[in-house]
Amino acid sequence: MNIDDLQGLLPLLTLAAGATALMLQIAFARNIKLTSFLAVATLLAATLSIVWAGESAPRFVTPLLRADKLALVFSALFCVAGAVTAILSMDYLNNRGDEPEEYFLLLVLSTLGACVLAYASHLASLLLGLELMSVSLYALIAYPDKTKLPLEAAIKYLVLSGAASATMLFGFALLYATTGTLQFSAMAQQLANIDTGNITLLVASVMIVTGLGFKLSLVPFHMWTPDVYDGAPAPVAGYLASVGKAAVFVVLVRWFIASNLFRFSILIDCIALLAILSMLAGNGLALLQTNIKRMLAYSSVAHMGYLVIILVVGSDLAHRPLAIEAGMYYLIAYTATTIAAFGLLTLLSAGKSQKENIQLHDVSGLFWHQPLYACLMLVALLSLAGIPLTAGFVAKFYLISSAVSDGRWILLGSLAIGSSIGIYYYLRVVFYMTRRVEEHKNIPEAAHGLIEKFMTCTLIASILLLGIVPQSLMEYLRSILQLVN
Amino acid sequence: MSLAILIGILLVGGLLALLADRWGDGTPRWVSLVTIGVALVYLLTTVADTAPEYFNTTAAIGSDWITYLKLDWIPRFGISFELAMDGLSLLLVILTLLLGLIAVSSSWSEIDFKQGLFQANLLWTLAGVTGVFLAMDLFLFFLFWEVMLIPMYLLIAIWGHENKAYAAMKFFIFTQFSGLLMLLSIVVLAWQASLTNGSYSYSYFDLLGTTLNSNLEFWVMLGFFLAFTVKLPGFPFHTWLPDAHTQAPTAGSVLLAGILLKTGAYGLLRFAIPLFPEASMNFAPIAMSLGAAGVIYGAVLAFAQTDFKRLVAYSSVSHMGFVLLGLYAWNNIALQGAIMQMVAHGVSTAALFMMAGAIQHRLHTRDMRRMGGLWHDAPRMGACALFFAVASLGLPGLGNFVAEFLVLLGLFAVNPWITAIAALGMIGAAIYALWMMQLAFQGKPEELREFGDFGSREMATMATMMIILVCLGMYPQPVLDLAQPVLDSLQKLTPNIEAVVALTQVGVMDQ
Amino acid sequence: MGGLQVPLEHVQVLAALLFSCGLLGLMLRRNIIFMLMSLEVMLNSAALAFVAAGAKWAEADGQVIFLLILSVAAAEISVGLGLVLQIQRRFKTLDMDSANRLRG
Repeated sequence: MNIDDLQGLLPLLTLAAGATALMLQIAFARNIKLTSFLAVATLLAATLSIVWAGESAPRFVTPLLRADKLALVFSALFCVAGAVTAILSMDYLNNRGDEPEEYFLLLVLSTLGACVLAYASHLASLLLGLELMSVSLYALIAYPDKTKLPLEAAIKYLVLSGAASATMLFGFALLYATTGTLQFSAMAQQLANIDTGNITLLVASVMIVTGLGFKLSLVPFHMWTPDVYDGAPAPVAGYLASVGKAAVFVVLVRWFIASNLFRFSILIDCIALLAILSMLAGNGLALLQTNIKRMLAYSSVAHMGYLVIILVVGSDLAHRPLAIEAGMYYLIAYTATTIAAFGLLTLLSAGKSQKENIQLHDVSGLFWHQPLYACLMLVALLSLAGIPLTAGFVAKFYLISSAVSDGRWILLGSLAIGSSIGIYYYLRVVFYMTRRVEEHKNIPEAAHGLIEKFMTCTLIASILLLGIVPQSLMEYLRSILQLVN
Repeated sequence: MSLAILIGILLVGGLLALLADRWGDGTPRWVSLVTIGVALVYLLTTVADTAPEYFNTTAAIGSDWITYLKLDWIPRFGISFELAMDGLSLLLVILTLLLGLIAVSSSWSEIDFKQGLFQANLLWTLAGVTGVFLAMDLFLFFLFWEVMLIPMYLLIAIWGHENKAYAAMKFFIFTQFSGLLMLLSIVVLAWQASLTNGSYSYSYFDLLGTTLNSNLEFWVMLGFFLAFTVKLPGFPFHTWLPDAHTQAPTAGSVLLAGILLKTGAYGLLRFAIPLFPEASMNFAPIAMSLGAAGVIYGAVLAFAQTDFKRLVAYSSVSHMGFVLLGLYAWNNIALQGAIMQMVAHGVSTAALFMMAGAIQHRLHTRDMRRMGGLWHDAPRMGACALFFAVASLGLPGLGNFVAEFLVLLGLFAVNPWITAIAALGMIGAAIYALWMMQLAFQGKPEELREFGDFGSREMATMATMMIILVCLGMYPQPVLDLAQPVLDSLQKLTPNIEAVVALTQVGVMDQ
Repeated sequence: MGGLQVPLEHVQVLAALLFSCGLLGLMLRRNIIFMLMSLEVMLNSAALAFVAAGAKWAEADGQVIFLLILSVAAAEISVGLGLVLQIQRRFKTLDMDSANRLRG
């Protein structure tokens, strides 16, 4: 390991150093202001360090990690998402007392885990990153608010996520037994010699798909999602829904490319089936919710369904670059949008009323007494629904383009049906927000600091910018891709 | 550049109107009025400046665009910000802005809640519709197509009547789902074209003449057709329309009936048929049957209504059926008729909706059984209503008559039987229009009713629309001349049916 | 390392049995402590499968992963026990069925 290697790992090192500093600071002097400042500074510093780290990329840093543009872009995304979450949750935590400094520490650790996943090129680093992220999340769910609901959500998530990890690990073990390697690119050579119908491999892939499907909450492994989101504090739920899923998806994409898992047609068919189920069931169940958090949970199930289409499309070598590009754009757009949507819930439940479960009627009339926040929610919902001028539309357009080029008509049909159902429940929220003032009574007290307003504007601007001038990001993602292949 | 500025004026005007709420109670509507006025003047002056020769020569393909603008936007997919205007677009943009003025006037005293936001949404809808009429890049077209719905949705959802949530949602879901199918079709088309051209492009001019295999062409065409017929609205997809019209505020109804429906017809004429000539012509008998069914069905249902606005809404279904008939007959006379119908129906229906809004504002009901004898209380209003009712039923001398007559004339050469059925619709129109007059305005007035007649603002608006309709009816030639070069170039794109066109090129149009 | 002394399949079947035991326990038991123990069994069965596979290829990788799994399991369980303490304090019971305020 030389200095160039360390440079490539700079974001990870910054996060780790920041986490250590936070731990020491909390041990010596508890001060929520200082802690939150340090955490945000760490996350932003890690984001900036990517510029330097990029100079030594792409390279393998030990067989475990690969520092390339893909890893760096998504590390930056996760760090920024972490920073936004941290800033949005300040007011939320202030009103929940009880020494919540460790919240920020856990957030930094979880982001570190997500970044490790973005770097991972080996099953061991995948395991480490995944567990670092998940274990921090268990604690994050229950930490700030030690009431019954979050506790229940945390233990539920812990048990189910642990079981999924164990299943996935068992699959890894079988995979290792057949191929004799844990490194992605070395695995490609071994797999190339193995018949695609090998029974051990089949069992292994079923177990791995189950485990990762759980983490991505694809139907039928989605049962935990609404409960956990519902119970978790709003900022954590947003983080879990965006970074928690994006990181898993990034490593999945890297693994699929590096080990050329696309050639296992049974695996691809399974994924296509999961995608269709997720799109239809996710949107259908979201329709029945009146709790906005649960609705967003089901909508995230549906969005993961849209997203895994690109793995199916990628199975054709000719269309793989476009598919992967579409997937990356979708992930970025989805992360920004999800953070924004849950950000609004955070801001609404930040007030002293400590209202945690925002129901539909709680946002009624929001347009008239909190126009800025309502605009944030409007933009986020339109983006989730895939209406033009928002990030979500360009992402969906990308996705459709790649699926059309591969002629996946059944998937496209499910996508069209799912999206149309989606429009209904997203717009229902908009309708409640535009109700006249006299039609609603109890208004949740919202946060109203300058920082919150600034973050709101930033989020709105980023979603709109991604939707209106996507060209430069598209070109950048394309240039990354040539290096990854 | 001038076209981008035109859209820009409307967008900025919307922002100003939003801010104007702080400056005073009535300011937003003035801002809105001035904005549309400026846009209209700007449009006319630039058109007169840039392309005087356009109006003298009936040019060949390629030179029949008055102005054209192309800026790179997303080169990754060959998407550009491409706007262009020919006679057809010009006609529809002028109609859009005129009806925009009328919509502002009709909402002058009706809206008392968040006026600034209302006017902003109104202006943004106009900007979106203008964009739809001008966009020449299919991606951009789709973008305007979808985006214009959002302010319209808000207009219905916020300022609508008692059942607004249901109506707004139904309207949005119908149009969005069909829009999604159109997006799929656009992507498939662009992808197929990229296979032959070697690079992506969403430009209309690059996509014209793309050859698809006939099976695929049919499905892709169907995607476009569905999106446009839902908006039109064609017969089985019209169910959103009566709800949306009934629940929308007056200005919303005026915009919906006057211009949003025309985007559907425009899309069929500009995109669906020229892009897929063969599939469209094979599909034409079905489309024409749907059109005829719409004419009859709309007329019958209009007669069954007791709600003033619902009646007008169903009459729209009937009248827009003529547009569908005219478009798929695809010969010069019928197409001229369809374009004429778009303009004439836009004006006459807008006037009827304004009438309905005025009555509702005064009586707080749209139920015609509770009206009766309004002529006695408000003779000026009654006279206006009579004028627009007979315009709508197709009285010779007014625009609608010219339009429907041309459609039937053109259609007769293609399919006499459908022509005969559609002509029955005109009888239906006479029945429901006169029935409406009789129910609402004739009869014995209810005693003790405070009912103000039209004021000078309303009379001025009504008079403008009357003049337009009379002009269209008496001297339609300018409109026909404006559209003729466009039709020539469009028809050249579908050579396989030129035989039919030649057959029906009767002396009327060729002077 | 002299390779694997028993057939790999035997160890894999044993691991699979352990895994099933863990999974069954997780599904059938309602006490949170027992659920955590079942989880531990599942994780360790995966670890066993790794060790066996490592022995088959005569590489240290399997054992390294075994150590990683051990530490991961320890981390999971320590957070889990922390939650158990809180749950005992709030709910006065460790029965999962009593914690059913979330539908689903």
